[in-house]
Amino acid sequence: MMVVRPCRASDLAGVEKVVTQNVARISSVPHNRDKLSERIDHSIRSFAQDASVEGMEFYLFVLEDPETGEIRGTSGIAASAGNGQPFFNYRLDDLIHSSQQLNVHQKVPVLYLSHALTGKTQLSSFAIESGLHGTEAFSLLSRARLLFIKQHREKFGDEVIVELQGVVDENGDSPFWDSLGRHFFAMDYATIEHYQGIKSRSFITEMMPPHPIYVPLLSEAARQVLGQPDSSAEETCRLLYREGFKPGEFVDIFDGGPTLSAPLEQLQTIVNARTKSVKRTESSMGLRYLVSNQSFDEFRCTLGQLTDGIGDTLRLNSQVVSQLGLEDGDEVHYVAV
Amino acid sequence: MMLIRPIAMSDLDDLFKMAESSGVGVTTLPANRELLQARIQLSERSFARQLEPKEANYLFALEDSEHGRIVGVSAIEASVGLRDVWYNYRVCQSVYASKELDVHTTNETLYLTNDLTGCSEVCTLFLDEHYRHSANGRFLSKCRFLFMRDYQDLFDDRVIAEMRGYSDAKGHSLFWESLGRVFFQTEFSRADYMVGTGNKSFIAELMPKYPIYVAFLSEQAQRVIGQVHDNTKPALSMLEQEGFSFSGLVDIFDAGPIVEAMVANVRAVRESSTRQVVVEQEHATDDKQYFLVSNRAFDRFRAALLPARLVRQDTISIPESIALNLQVNTGDTVRVLPLRYQEDN
Repeated sequence: MMVVRPCRASDLAGVEKVVTQNVARISSVPHNRDKLSERIDHSIRSFAQDASVEGMEFYLFVLEDPETGEIRGTSGIAASAGNGQPFFNYRLDDLIHSSQQLNVHQKVPVLYLSHALTGKTQLSSFAIESGLHGTEAFSLLSRARLLFIKQHREKFGDEVIVELQGVVDENGDSPFWDSLGRHFFAMDYATIEHYQGIKSRSFITEMMPPHPIYVPLLSEAARQVLGQPDSSAEETCRLLYREGFKPGEFVDIFDGGPTLSAPLEQLQTIVNARTKSVKRTESSMGLRYLVSNQSFDEFRCTLGQLTDGIGDTLRLNSQVVSQLGLEDGDEVHYVAV
Repeated sequence: MMLIRPIAMSDLDDLFKMAESSGVGVTTLPANRELLQARIQLSERSFARQLEPKEANYLFALEDSEHGRIVGVSAIEASVGLRDVWYNYRVCQSVYASKELDVHTTNETLYLTNDLTGCSEVCTLFLDEHYRHSANGRFLSKCRFLFMRDYQDLFDDRVIAEMRGYSDAKGHSLFWESLGRVFFQTEFSRADYMVGTGNKSFIAELMPKYPIYVAFLSEQAQRVIGQVHDNTKPALSMLEQEGFSFSGLVDIFDAGPIVEAMVANVRAVRESSTRQVVVEQEHATDDKQYFLVSNRAFDRFRAALLPARLVRQDTISIPESIALNLQVNTGDTVRVLPLRYQEDN
């Protein structure tokens, strides 16, 4: 059974493979070894509670197959979106343009550059082997983060956000980008996405048009994809919706994809997760659960069957208990798959 | 003969006929009898000094005295945007550059401004199509500068002119189709007519207030920014000869250019001079050079064209019949200006 754990320096090659092979087009994970290595280092220092990253912690998890030691996915949490720099979004708002004289009354959608989400807790860096789409491992890799957040609540904010990939066509072009950003950046979508992963954020401030954008002046294709997730993000999108995330007024500045948000305390995993002490058993009966230990830097989360009952103890298959690095009597967090 | 004088209420019928034939794009001459009547009234009150100088609007009429009707008009607005809001787009360059990405792009941005508020404006130049010859257009346009020269205190230091923007063979403004239509949801002609009626509140209600990135407009719309309508090219080149140049501002509906000059630098203002009148007998002439001559009066302002050879060192000989029309006598002073500058010929 697969396990989610903090990423280690030695995982670099495995992470790189997942990212380059399975996240073909797009991702918030950079396709660049040096940058990946920097990210992993950032995460390691965050788990070590190093002062150099205080307030800008970034936790990167990997999905590992314990039998082969193979890395099959990544997911991350940024404690403070933007990492100490402005975090850009467009905020979609409506203006009413109305004139009795001309008998016109229309709602004009306008995109405003916004830094309002800077500093929020952000789920990011999700990448998984394409063969694992539609399996429980997908849910494990994504939701393990929420169990981690619940256990270390004081390190995170009250609101959680996630950016979903915007619509990209079969050529890898973004209709939204082609109608908006491309005029100013003079480069295609693939290039800007690549830069976004590896360059500092100051280029956004230098290059983004500063004034609000009237949506009706964008191309028809751009308007259609505004606020829409790409089909590749469908499963993530469903999972996050079930979790309680909602699309709001924020969209990505490059591809127009939606930014979902939710109050942390209302997320299903947070609401439903329970804590009990474990007792090993050799049977594996009952419903499927996500189960995690309560460690910070040795955090582990996996899937297992258990029967929840009255009382403070639950019986958990001893293999699962071992995978979590636990002994009888240790406490676990668990939530139904 | 052709004579320019302040318009009078008795000219209303002629003016209405002209307005009907002027078509879309001459915003300041809507084919609406009541509005034209109000316009004449405003001009009459201006010439009668019944208004504050800044509120004045002087409407001049070109009269064909043989037919006893007016065949053209031109006007000066003493000060624009004081009763309503005067909108323009300023065409600005914006540069986006990043060393890190090694890119440097230039985009144009249109900023909605009221920068010209308070300027004087030469406007409403219109000539009956049967009279578009013999320098009548030039005469109508330039007479205003003679008037401004003698009453400079009544005008702003800066004078502007709005040039009609480009439209295609079907009369569609390509700029309007790409921008104005999106927000106004109506035809250019209707919006243009409403501006002519003096009711501009719909602009404040519907016009986008944030700057417009030109890159978002259609390619055709981008190309016509600052371009004039074919019919307006002669008027533009005439003003350019007077020293007007592009102000960097364009019309918010059709993106026609606004040209500007300092009144003191307008060539007609600088180069016109005064002469003493000597009224004399008429005699035939085949002179091809003409001078504009104004009587320098205010409410009885008159201007006419005279053969150049009559203009002497200090005096000007004026035939009796013309002197009558100009309402001048021997010993009076008139202002004179060559109709064409040397290099025009």
